[in-house]
Amino acid sequence: STDRIASMADTRDIIRITEDTEDDFEQVVGGGGGDEGVRLVKESAKSRKGRGFESEQDRDDTMEFDAVGIDDGDTAGPQRSVEGWILFVRNLHEETTEDDLMDKFNEYGEVKSLHLNLNRRTGYIKGYALVEFEHYKEASTAQNKLNGADLNGQRMQVDWAFTRGPSGGGGGGRKSRRQRDTKPQQRSERSRSR
Amino acid sequence: MATKDSGADAFYLRYYIGHRGIFGHEFLEFEFRPDGKLRYANNSNYKNDTMIRKEAYVSPAVMAELRRIVTESEIMQEDDQQWPMPDRVGRQELEIVFNSEHISFTTSKIGSLAEITGTKDPDGLRTFYYLVQDLKCLVFSLIGLHFKIRPI
Repeated sequence: STDRIASMADTRDIIRITEDTEDDFEQVVGGGGGDEGVRLVKESAKSRKGRGFESEQDRDDTMEFDAVGIDDGDTAGPQRSVEGWILFVRNLHEETTEDDLMDKFNEYGEVKSLHLNLNRRTGYIKGYALVEFEHYKEASTAQNKLNGADLNGQRMQVDWAFTRGPSGGGGGGRKSRRQRDTKPQQRSERSRSR
Repeated sequence: MATKDSGADAFYLRYYIGHRGIFGHEFLEFEFRPDGKLRYANNSNYKNDTMIRKEAYVSPAVMAELRRIVTESEIMQEDDQQWPMPDRVGRQELEIVFNSEHISFTTSKIGSLAEITGTKDPDGLRTFYYLVQDLKCLVFSLIGLHFKIRPI
């Protein structure tokens, strides 16, 4: 398997992210769904490079991941975060300031959180931001009105940051049923066909 | 058999860093899957914290920005052959599938830019170093805001 990698010496007690055991219904959405999707994507690559391929080791993972409202089998509509709704803003001019963004977004509601991350190499901003509103209406309206709006000479792209379910790489998918030898995960993650 | 994706648009990214410190084994790992699922795990024995494991689906917009960041870094043109090998002190892994290329790089921990200057491939390591910083910033913002935690 291509996703087994070498580990540090004496690392048996380290638990790693790896293939979990999903239940019988695995949805393959544009080749991207679940563990099967990851494996397919890796196999679809035409070239490989790096020492990480040289040695392999089983990665064992039997633990679950916490999530907010996740739904592996369903829609890719926006997902609420723990305390509000988060928008993802792109194509920001490198000299954009937090005030620039607050001015734009505060028009639609109170901005509860704003992350405008720096480019660690240049010291300018990296070009994206995360903006949080408490209420769906505020975020949704801001997204509608500000997507494509000009800021410092560039058109902002404003979208939701999180979705309820997977987004396919391209085109539709189909459901495949696989028999697993291992026990299914405790947390039910039933896929549904589309 | 599942339908095989053309692969041309497929994207996958995983980063791992782990080390032994005075607080025992500590590691951080995150993974962006082709379907948009972001998985994050952080294990630190500092103050006996339990492991943090979070996951969320990020939107296609976030995945597009991730691709842009990777493209801009030019990491896909690099090679880890001349980089310091992972050692007992620590290990980093960066695995990316992008534009039908699959890279899987491993190296030791990099404490600071000063450490890079004496190596055989300082430019490549610098590229790696800055990309990792940028990826961590993005992931910490996503996970931190979504779950309202301080992810590290």
